[in-house]
Amino acid sequence: MSERTSKLCSLSDLVAEIPDGSRVAIGGFAVYQKPMAAVREMIRQGKKHLTIVGTVHSMDVDMLVGAGCVDRVETSYVGLERYGLAPNFRRAVQNGAVKLVSYPEMLAWDRFRADREGWPFWPCYSLGGCESILENPDIVEYTCPVSGRKAWALPAAKPDIVLIHGYQGDRYGNVRLQAHSMLPQAMDVEMARSCGTVLVTLEELIDNEEIRKTPELTQIPSLRVKAAAVVPHGSHPLSTLLACNEDEAHMRLYAEAAKTPEGFKEYLNTYVYGTADERQYLELIGGEHLAGLEADK
Amino acid sequence: MNCTVEEMLAAHLASTFKNGEVGFTGLATGKAASMYITSIPLAAMRLAQLTHAPDLTILFNGWCVNPDLSALTALPEAEYDNALLTLPCEAHMTSWPGPWSHHRGEISFAFCSGAQVDVQGNVNCTRIGNAERPKIALVGPIFVPEHMAEFGREYVMLPHHEVRSLVEKVDCISGVGYPRGRAGRAELGLRGGGPCAIYTPKCIFGFDAEGQIYVKSIHPGVSERELREATGFDLGDLSNAPVTPVPDKETLRILRTEVDPNGMLLGTTLEA
Repeated sequence: MSERTSKLCSLSDLVAEIPDGSRVAIGGFAVYQKPMAAVREMIRQGKKHLTIVGTVHSMDVDMLVGAGCVDRVETSYVGLERYGLAPNFRRAVQNGAVKLVSYPEMLAWDRFRADREGWPFWPCYSLGGCESILENPDIVEYTCPVSGRKAWALPAAKPDIVLIHGYQGDRYGNVRLQAHSMLPQAMDVEMARSCGTVLVTLEELIDNEEIRKTPELTQIPSLRVKAAAVVPHGSHPLSTLLACNEDEAHMRLYAEAAKTPEGFKEYLNTYVYGTADERQYLELIGGEHLAGLEADK
Repeated sequence: MNCTVEEMLAAHLASTFKNGEVGFTGLATGKAASMYITSIPLAAMRLAQLTHAPDLTILFNGWCVNPDLSALTALPEAEYDNALLTLPCEAHMTSWPGPWSHHRGEISFAFCSGAQVDVQGNVNCTRIGNAERPKIALVGPIFVPEHMAEFGREYVMLPHHEVRSLVEKVDCISGVGYPRGRAGRAELGLRGGGPCAIYTPKCIFGFDAEGQIYVKSIHPGVSERELREATGFDLGDLSNAPVTPVPDKETLRILRTEVDPNGMLLGTTLEA
C-alpha cells in the first residue's frame, strides 16, 4: 500500500510555487491574519511583475509594492488602518510605478464567488455614476436580460495562486478554522474555493486525528490545498485570530520607516534581506517579545 | 453650550433615526475620523435605542449586531481583533454573504467620509488629482460605492470642516450623490437614497428636493463668516439658517450615564 502524500514543505519551497507575472490572491483582510511570512519570502526570492488581487489590503501590498514585486493591484483598499496610509503603495501609485484598479469592497469579494462558480463575471446593478470604479475598462455595462435594468459585469478575480495564513492544519493540507471565527477567515475560505492552486502557511501543525475531532471546522479540506508550510507567527506583525495579537510597536516602526524610500530600504535590509528565513526573522523580533503577543484562546 | 459638539451631533443624529431601522457603521482610523465615523454614530444609535427607537438594529463594523457599548473599555480601533470577539452582542456575521443584503435595501442608513465632498453630495476617497499620476493616492473606495448607491440614506461625517474637503466638485467620485439632481440618481439606476446630510464640526448640511446642498443649521458659536471661510463653495444666503439645537438635560443624562458611562465613545465624563 502506498502512503498518503504529505503536502508539507518549507516556506521557501512554498513561495517558489509562485511564478513571476502571476495573479496572486492574498488572503486575510486589512491588518488581520495576512500571510506576512510568505510576503517576506516573496521579497527575498525577488518576485517580479505580480498582480495582487484581493479585497482589502495593508502591509502585505505595501511591502510587495515597495520591494518592486508588483505591477498591478486590484482591490478596494490599501492602507495601514490606524497606522495611516500605506506609504510605499501611495508613492508607487502617484509616480505611476504600479497600476491600481479599484473595486467596491463587497464586489471585490463577489469576484471570487464568480471564480467558485466558474463564471467569467459577477453581475452588479449599482455602479451608475461611480467614476472611480467605471474607469476600469474590464467592467462591461449591459442591460439585464430579465429585468431590463442597467447592469455591469465585473470580471472574475481569476487568481493563478491563492496564498493564505491558516490557523491550524495537518500534514495532508487539511486547514482548520478557529472554533470562533470572523469575516477575515470566511474570506480565506472563499478565496481557497476560487482557485486550483492554494498555498497555505500554517500557524500550527496538528495531527490528522485532531482534525478528525472537529471536521466541521475543516473549511479548507486537503483536496483544495496544493502545499502547506508550518510557520508560527506567520502573520507577524499582524494578528492571527485566537493565536497572536498585532505587534503595535512593530507596526509603528514600519509605518515610520516606510515614510521614505530610504527608510523602507533600511527596514527591508534589516528584517527581510537581513534574515535568511523566518527562523532568523523571529529571532530578530525576539522570543520574549513574541511571547507577549500571544492571544487568549 | 452645556455639552460638547460631539454630544450635540450624536443627539441630533439620534433624533433622525426611526424605530425599526437598521444602522451600519464601518471602521474609521485616526482620532478625529474615528470620532466622527464610528463613535458619534454608535452613541447616536444607542441613544435612539434607549429613547424612541428600541427596535433599531446596530450593525457595529457591519458584523457585530447590537453590541453592549457600555461594556467598551477602549475605543474600538480595529475591526476584527481578538479583543472584539468578547464584546457582548447578539450576533456575529461570520460569512459573506451574511445576515443582511444591501442589494435588497436592508440597510436603512450608514455613515461614511472622504477626503472631499462636493455640492452634489459626491464623496471622494480614491485620489486627489488625475488617474494616471494622482497627486495623492487615498486608501480606496472600500464600501463607500455601495453605501451611497444602495443604502436607504447616508450620513456623510466630516471630522474637519475645511476648504479643501468641502469643494465645488470632487476630483473623483467614489460614492455617488446627486449628479443632475435627484432625477439624475434615478437615471443612473441607483435605488438607494444617497446622502441625506453632512455633519461637520461647524454645521449640518442637508440636500433639498432637487438634491441641491444647503446649510441646514449652524452650530452654536460658529459665525457666518467663519463658516464661509472654511467652505470651498458658495453657501448662498445664510440669513434663515437656524442654530443647531443642543440636547436637553435628560438626553445628556442618558448619553453620559447609559450610552457611554466610561466616556469611551464621546470622551465626556459623568460630571461633564
